[in-house]
Amino acid sequence: MNTDQTLKDLQNIVGKEFATNSPEDLYIYSQDPGASLPRSVDFVVMPKTTEEVQKIVKLANEEKIPLVPMGGGLTLSGLIIPVKGGIVLDMKRMNQIIEINELSRYALIEPGVSTGQLLAYLNEHHPDLQPAIPDAPPSATIAGNVLIHGSGYLSQKYGDHGAMVNGLEVVLASGEVAKLGSCAVSDYWFARGPIPDLVGLFLSSFGTMGIVTKLSVQIFPKPKFRKIVFGLMKDEENIPKLLLEITTKDFIEDVLLGKQDKPEWMKGYIFFMVYITGDNQEDIDAKLKVLKKTYRENGARYMKAPQKMIDLYMEKPIFAAGAADFRKGGGFEYVGANMPLEKLPEAYRRGAEISRKYGIPPTLGSRLIGQTHNIVMFFSYSFNRSDPNDMQNARNALEETNHLALELGGIPWKGELGAQKLTLQKMDPNYKKMFFNIRQMLDPNGIMNPGNWSEEEN
Amino acid sequence: MALDDVKHIIHRCFRCGYCKFTHSYSEFNCPSYNKYRFETYSAGGRMWLIFGLMNNELQWSDNLANILYACSTCGNCVENCQFVKFNEFWVDIIEAARAEAVKNGFCPEKQKNLLERTTNPEMFNPYAEPNSDNEELKKEYNLPDKAEWVYFIGCTSNYRQKNLRDSTLRFLKKAKIDFTLIDEHCCCSPIIRTGQISPVKDFMNYNVEKIKEAGATKVITSCAGCYRTLKNDFKKFGVEYDFKLYHTVELVKQILDEGKLTFKSEYNKTVTYHDPCHLGRHSGIYEIPREVYKKIPGINFVEMKRNRENAYCCGAGGGVKIGYPDWSVEISKERLEEAKETGATVVSSTCPFCRTNLSDANDKFNMGFEVIDLIEILDKLDLEIT
Repeated sequence: MNTDQTLKDLQNIVGKEFATNSPEDLYIYSQDPGASLPRSVDFVVMPKTTEEVQKIVKLANEEKIPLVPMGGGLTLSGLIIPVKGGIVLDMKRMNQIIEINELSRYALIEPGVSTGQLLAYLNEHHPDLQPAIPDAPPSATIAGNVLIHGSGYLSQKYGDHGAMVNGLEVVLASGEVAKLGSCAVSDYWFARGPIPDLVGLFLSSFGTMGIVTKLSVQIFPKPKFRKIVFGLMKDEENIPKLLLEITTKDFIEDVLLGKQDKPEWMKGYIFFMVYITGDNQEDIDAKLKVLKKTYRENGARYMKAPQKMIDLYMEKPIFAAGAADFRKGGGFEYVGANMPLEKLPEAYRRGAEISRKYGIPPTLGSRLIGQTHNIVMFFSYSFNRSDPNDMQNARNALEETNHLALELGGIPWKGELGAQKLTLQKMDPNYKKMFFNIRQMLDPNGIMNPGNWSEEEN
Repeated sequence: MALDDVKHIIHRCFRCGYCKFTHSYSEFNCPSYNKYRFETYSAGGRMWLIFGLMNNELQWSDNLANILYACSTCGNCVENCQFVKFNEFWVDIIEAARAEAVKNGFCPEKQKNLLERTTNPEMFNPYAEPNSDNEELKKEYNLPDKAEWVYFIGCTSNYRQKNLRDSTLRFLKKAKIDFTLIDEHCCCSPIIRTGQISPVKDFMNYNVEKIKEAGATKVITSCAGCYRTLKNDFKKFGVEYDFKLYHTVELVKQILDEGKLTFKSEYNKTVTYHDPCHLGRHSGIYEIPREVYKKIPGINFVEMKRNRENAYCCGAGGGVKIGYPDWSVEISKERLEEAKETGATVVSSTCPFCRTNLSDANDKFNMGFEVIDLIEILDKLDLEIT
């Protein structure tokens, strides 16, 4: 690769000011806030249109230069740090909200639209609608979130955020543009099918299948009233039965639970935060009563939530930053594992043991995804970014936790390279073969985020 | 503050990106990120670069200095960063990094002019104008040598926005304030913002001494930049004073509250207020000017979408006006476009530097506004002050 020529070519495509290989820019894009070590980047580009993405992909394919698409860069697991160098495509200039369809309830957007941007846009222009946003800062992109099977707000009621993708426009390694979902047949981006569902190929494949340039995501009616009902439980063995019981009610929007040693009064307890919705205050009060009884009958007790906590969790994902700053070290990563409900008590117990083993105060949490169909479990490790030993310690804790998640029948979510390898080791060989074959067919030169979902040693 | 003072916290930036937004996430509110768009140019990107520099993972270069200087230090990051006991230092950290750039010989050429002019004994101001000892003004307005108040005019008002200065002088006279002027030297805001701090303490001490010589116990300024510098930076540089500091708008409000000011004419225009970063985010004054505008008879006062803590910077501060003159007015253009949405015909502020930049954009892009300071509006009205 002729670096100067490639930079010139990229600048010709996106404009001089939006392609760079300055040491300062490469330094920033060679790392993320998680515990991954920095890896080298050759160029960063910021395309504005699908056509520009196509041109970049064609250039990269000719020159066999790896391409790594990036949204908010907040997966924390290094998914946007190239494994084999190459070009990072920072997609945040493609940030148009193209259409809000109030009847079919979807948002057609570009991949650089942030969760904060869509939230604010709907609040202002469509106040009866709400987006599903992750437990991440508002600069996380909608695309980044849904393409990693994200979860967060509204997951309990409507499923994981990946399931909310109605359709995608993607640029394939060949430079061709493909439309997936109902938009392949119809002018409306209202559903995934009923046609063979290829959208799934682009979820959790971390950019190895192609680059998303448009997407339609479902948006949802906003309840008139909402309340967080807080509860505490001493014995984690009671978690499954309480969650099963809670999710028999039809007014539960979200369920979060967790375990942390700080503040002191939370130590030793599993806490629950259940979002209930209703049409009016009387409705909410009646549902609160029902939920309190459910808590009582299933080994938990209701507690009036501290206002500070309500403020943090109610409308905006501000708490995500707070969690990251837990140890005032600027570094934060977690194993987010999707787990079956039956293994949750053991996950809490053994997760806390791993935290203690590595000297990190246990900070564990979970969110329900679609009643109890799936649970995302967070084993969080904050660390001091200025201390290499502390970062290594966090990496060791993460690795041990990945093993635990897989042992318990869970699957690491948006896993870093190590987690991806462990998952591949456990994967049905023919699933793996099919996946690799499809990827080989779509990307024969291996330019799409190579090194991810790979069995090669990096 | 030096970078060494933040060694224990600099790594706390998580690069979560709150610093780019308004409170509601409705817009990116960081002028620098809006222009450059690479993460490198977000406040978080700068924190990481500074961290890299302190760890010797990065070396000084012209490009690195440019990234650090392409920031108007508007304080939106301070306002939106979620990490307490860290967020308050963001602008100080940028300024400290610029001071390191200066030390290492990487201060950009245009910004160097600020120091050269300010320390030139013929000037003592960043505009390369011959220093005014203000004796002529004292004569013109019949001001004593000693008085209870000193009007600290500030370089921008004294050398560029003279109507703003004169409006202030006329207002103070009308209000029968016992005040005088001093042979002031630059408050040092421009050189502090650009990291050229070597002479700052001497300048501050000089001005404090002159104020003392005038026998004043109160200092009033019509400049948001001087106000913020006197209020916040003097202390940081270890320069103490015992006078009480006012921005003109605070005095106007006080006189209004005391019922001493009566409007004898109307201002029948639709006006929107641009919060100067130095008065707003840096000094916490948001409501006082609004209360004054709203008391003006005939006025139709309207708010821009981004206001108060969320106000969008005019783009003049932090050395951006001198370092990046074209970009600087583009930022003001964006602000004026926002003002257009309100239906206002008048864009008003309480800072001569905002007034300058907004006027420049207004002229350059034919935006059709009247850009005017609050004190100039008052000057146009028939006031009775008892």
